[in-house]
Amino acid sequence: MSAELVQILEGNTFVVSDDRGDIEASATDPTGLFSFDTRFLSRWVLTVNGQRLTALSTDDLQYFQARFFLVPGTGTVYIDSKLSVIRQREVADGFHEELRVLNHDSEPAKLEIRIEAGSDFADLFEVKDALVKKGSYQARVVSGSLVLQYQRETYIRQTWISATATAAIDESGLSFSITVPPHGEWSTDLHVVASEGSPGEAPEAPVGIRGQGGRRVREDMARGLEKWLGRAPRLECDWRPLELIYRRCMTDLAALRFSTLTMPGRSLPAAGLPWFMTIFGRDSIFTSLQALPFNSELAATTLLALAERQGTRTDDFRDEDPGRILHEMRYGELTAFEERPHSPYYGNADATPLYVVLLDEYERWTGDLKLVRRLEQAARAAIAWIDEYADLQGNGYVSYQRRNEQTGLENQCWKDSWDSISYRNGDLPGFPRATCELQGYAYDAKMRGARLARQVWKDAAFADRLEKEAADLKRRFNRDFWVEDGEYFAVAIDTDGRQVDSLTSNIGHLLWSGIVDKPRARAVARHLMSPRLFSGWGIRTMAEGEARYNPIGYHVGTVWPFDNSFIAWGLRRYGFKEEAAAVVAGIMEAAEVFAGRLPEAFGGYARSSTLYPVQYPTACSPQAWSTGAPLLLPCCC
Amino acid sequence: MDPIGQFFASLVEPGRISTFEGESASLRFDIGSGSRRERWRVQVTDGEVAVTRASAPADAVVHIERPHLEAIVTGRLNAQAALLRGLLTCEGSMAALIMFQRCLPGPPGSTGRVAPISSQAVTAGRRSA
Repeated sequence: MSAELVQILEGNTFVVSDDRGDIEASATDPTGLFSFDTRFLSRWVLTVNGQRLTALSTDDLQYFQARFFLVPGTGTVYIDSKLSVIRQREVADGFHEELRVLNHDSEPAKLEIRIEAGSDFADLFEVKDALVKKGSYQARVVSGSLVLQYQRETYIRQTWISATATAAIDESGLSFSITVPPHGEWSTDLHVVASEGSPGEAPEAPVGIRGQGGRRVREDMARGLEKWLGRAPRLECDWRPLELIYRRCMTDLAALRFSTLTMPGRSLPAAGLPWFMTIFGRDSIFTSLQALPFNSELAATTLLALAERQGTRTDDFRDEDPGRILHEMRYGELTAFEERPHSPYYGNADATPLYVVLLDEYERWTGDLKLVRRLEQAARAAIAWIDEYADLQGNGYVSYQRRNEQTGLENQCWKDSWDSISYRNGDLPGFPRATCELQGYAYDAKMRGARLARQVWKDAAFADRLEKEAADLKRRFNRDFWVEDGEYFAVAIDTDGRQVDSLTSNIGHLLWSGIVDKPRARAVARHLMSPRLFSGWGIRTMAEGEARYNPIGYHVGTVWPFDNSFIAWGLRRYGFKEEAAAVVAGIMEAAEVFAGRLPEAFGGYARSSTLYPVQYPTACSPQAWSTGAPLLLPCCC
Repeated sequence: MDPIGQFFASLVEPGRISTFEGESASLRFDIGSGSRRERWRVQVTDGEVAVTRASAPADAVVHIERPHLEAIVTGRLNAQAALLRGLLTCEGSMAALIMFQRCLPGPPGSTGRVAPISSQAVTAGRRSA
């Protein structure tokens, strides 16, 4: 995404525009007004007397609000203008835009203000893959509003556009013929509402198209953010950057909040802004874990929302099994017509054991026994999935292989790129793949499930069984995954039971889960802190010297702040305080360089050779689990 | 037998109870319209399911045409996809509808297993590269 784009959002509604506030999207260009994974505006262009405008400055006031200071004309040399135009925009159900025109002249200004509007109603997946639409478009004027519509069979989406000032409305926009008095001002509020729409000649105006002033929305949202920040614990530290990083992270976490339709008043962390503003099992769980010391509501809502959608049947298209926790939920046209499986899609192998881990960790921080009792069935179903559905090879290990060969995910662990799991020589294992961290999560889920069973669900027999199974898994794991000649754990076991023997950061997650036999932990910690894995800023996803190592390869050499936060937790768990502190220091110093907003990943170059961590180019910022990393890290010292 | 009648009858069969354990909610399905309208009402009380043809109010009222509900209860149409497409509308509690969808079957022919793919095939064919 180029630097001059401006994005604001609320929940899963967001606007991406240029620095003038204009939107001119093409089929594959990711600008527009998006809501529920659908683009509701692909064209929104302001002209004054037929002229485009130029931005003098743009303010990102809040994550949901932006202001554009503009002058007419697009010349390369700025000419002292007698007019200023200010657009202030807030996201809510669509967006509100206050448009103000200021006349600095001593003569009245007679002006034609025009807003061109249009929509291609693209599904987010279509924006990524440039697919062709199958439905039909319509634009019409209905009771003072311009209504843009897309219809495919019974699937209807509409964009309603209206203004508070008198406007001449046609099918491609709104015009205002105005005279602004000398040194005077003219303004209007524009409302754009994204709606599911209703069929028929005289469609009903959606709630929010009228009477909901932009100012009120603005005030409500600003108050909401202040309340959120006010509820967070206060952090003081003599290392000043920590306070700034903390405030940045809590504000970004507020922006990443997402409400489901079933729990409107509550929020969980979405995965990333703006393209991943939806529930992701893995990302929502990891971020909730990171944020627990500071906010427990995110974890509670994540647990409830994931339980609501927990798998109950066998569905090969969605890779769904009974007890499985979802991977990703989407609401666009391709999902609606079952051309994509995201309704929801279940293809991941880690979120289900991690669900039990989060439930236990949540109880340890909050003592909320009521929620743990309420979610007993969900937790039991998740544990049952590990044994009954995840052991695809019949060898007692969790592994993954997609059943949806067309649109399902091939790699169902967090390192989900095609080349992330490899042998030392770079060859790739077949499927199913049993990656090592999945065994750690399964072990932890059983140990934590046993604690909850004994202390909360009062089922000692179940607790005994889980502990026995966990102990057995740990014993087998330390035998089968241990690479003798390297003294570390293989990244996976392949279909022939062979070790996939590259050295990766995954071994750090094993410490976090507690599956590593104590005598072997020192060797694991030594590897993590060795120059092959530790860059000085953090631990690389793959060690230098492996065939596929690349310091700017997505999962084969870059440093992921989220990964490091859980590794630091693991080091601390096994008593390696100095090693944990070194990881914390490296990532927090990187966070300082990035002004508190850590990217998803940065280059694995040695710190001694680069003055600054090199950001990996990515479309999403902030990313939820990168935002959560600086919250968890100080707790690992 | 009518798949819709069969489906609702199956909800009260023993063994179904774990689907809704601990939950309480009511849903009414208004199928079709006018004089041909058909109603089914599902009451879940602490996991216990009761099905009637009553027209009493419910937490969620679902409006749907008969062929679409037939497709949903036989696993040929996903309920969430149907909702997004406007094939069904839900008045009232969305949470009740989401709870209810747990008892719906998966697509016919879903086997839950696929054949393993060997390492040689992956490396030689560079799958998804």
